[in-house]
Amino acid sequence: MKKIFLISILLLAFAGCKKTPVIPAGDLGGGVIMDPSLTDPAAYRISVSQPKPTPAQAQIPVIICCHGYTASTFEWDEFRTWSNGTSKYYIDQVLLAGHGTTYANFQKSTWHDWESSIMNEYDLLVSEGYQNISFAASSTSCTLLLDMISSGFFKVNAFNFNTGMYNKIHIFLVDPIVIPSDKNLSLIGVLGPMLGYVTSNNAPGEEQYYYHYRPEETLQQLQDVLNQVRDELQNGVQLPDYIYLKVYKSIKDPTADPVSAVLIYNGVKTSSGGKIDLDMVNSDIHVFTRLSLVPNVTALDIQNQIYAFTDITTRIFQ
Amino acid sequence: MKTVLKNTTRMELRQLPIRVIPSVKRTCIVAALLLAVLNSANAQSSILDAGIRLQQTVNLYSENGIALSYSNKALLPDRLYFGFSYATSRLGTAFNTYAIKQDNYLVSAAWYFRENHVIRPFVRLNTGYFSADYVEAIFNVLPQSSLLLSSDFGICFQTGLPLKISTSLGYNFITGNGLSGPGTLFPVFYQLTLSWNIFDRTKLSHHQSLPQKLKL
Repeated sequence: MKKIFLISILLLAFAGCKKTPVIPAGDLGGGVIMDPSLTDPAAYRISVSQPKPTPAQAQIPVIICCHGYTASTFEWDEFRTWSNGTSKYYIDQVLLAGHGTTYANFQKSTWHDWESSIMNEYDLLVSEGYQNISFAASSTSCTLLLDMISSGFFKVNAFNFNTGMYNKIHIFLVDPIVIPSDKNLSLIGVLGPMLGYVTSNNAPGEEQYYYHYRPEETLQQLQDVLNQVRDELQNGVQLPDYIYLKVYKSIKDPTADPVSAVLIYNGVKTSSGGKIDLDMVNSDIHVFTRLSLVPNVTALDIQNQIYAFTDITTRIFQ
Repeated sequence: MKTVLKNTTRMELRQLPIRVIPSVKRTCIVAALLLAVLNSANAQSSILDAGIRLQQTVNLYSENGIALSYSNKALLPDRLYFGFSYATSRLGTAFNTYAIKQDNYLVSAAWYFRENHVIRPFVRLNTGYFSADYVEAIFNVLPQSSLLLSSDFGICFQTGLPLKISTSLGYNFITGNGLSGPGTLFPVFYQLTLSWNIFDRTKLSHHQSLPQKLKL
């Protein structure tokens, strides 16, 4: 009995130790590399580069691109490159709070902070006069957008007092996560304090754009928002008539379990009670729209990416 | 289902939808198990605990159902138990919600320690079959069923009545990982089973009081 007590005390002491990784300066989180949208926001956000749109510009669709957990604006750079400076729509890349900076900043951020980054950018664009705002979200940002729909954010913030109507919103979810592929995340409440952080297997070059070290506090936040949205989907979410939603999901995904698409498809209905649009994509890449730095990209992967980009940029005009 | 089978030849059976045949097999296996248990039972000393199972997967669904547990008088009685349980989200989280409807069929072997005590620890090894219903054909590309292999350990409270209350913490060795296996098959679960020994014919009023029969 004494031994068990002693082991328990040692385990608790170990669990209570502060664990902070040593991050190389060349990696994101090390304090040297920062997301470029922080130093040059005008290059990433239309709300900064064009804060006073003309009436004609205000009608042009703006696509707010939001990245996933531990990622950065890099995740949607290829969409901007593919768009090749088009004047048909604007791209606005949002950096989620706590991301793209230091490990300490990331560690203390919550999922409400991450969500606020998207909300604030939308509100800013609306206040500047933009009337046709859409979202292209990947991974955890999809979860945040689902929560924004369910919590009634758009019901309050999408109303246009000038026209007396709601602004139309298109939302595109790429590889949304509601159920993680790594089921050990469900044990983060117990294992997290003992581990302090976990590492991710980034491909060569990705360390500059994706955090390698994932603090247990943020993993707990991730688990919390997944639970929150799973509950919301279980209870059912009906889209208002001014929101169009489409999901693209890889049929194999080492990060966001493909069953997430089932939960969203079953839980979200259109304003008329119908089914939402969904494409199950023949891919094994998480966020199949980002191929830069992904090893062994195939012709099919490129085809999938171009399909999604084309589909998104077509549907925003419908 | 019975109507379908009565009018169906062996050749026609092969042409039945794929999902019909496994469900017939499952029903036959369960029925055979129950018959074997009932035939071999001696009402005086073998034990057949039948009851309800309330299960919660950590950070996922509650799945409830039934549990049967049998111990033969000739084979390590009241220590070695063989069991069957069925737990489903249909009677839990998925009841009247949009949660995924999924079913767990388990057969198990358990060892109960501390015979004739009120509090009895036990360990159990389970195997079985898991299936989830994604409803729409578009999801047929995703894995929806799996072998189950799990172990759980816990405590059984054996009352002075034929009533047993057992609770345990379990671990699924097979889970989904996004590339294979159903996505809603999670690792850790806990469960509570309330069961009644239906072979115990002793009138309730004749059951000795707890301190006289069982040790704490």
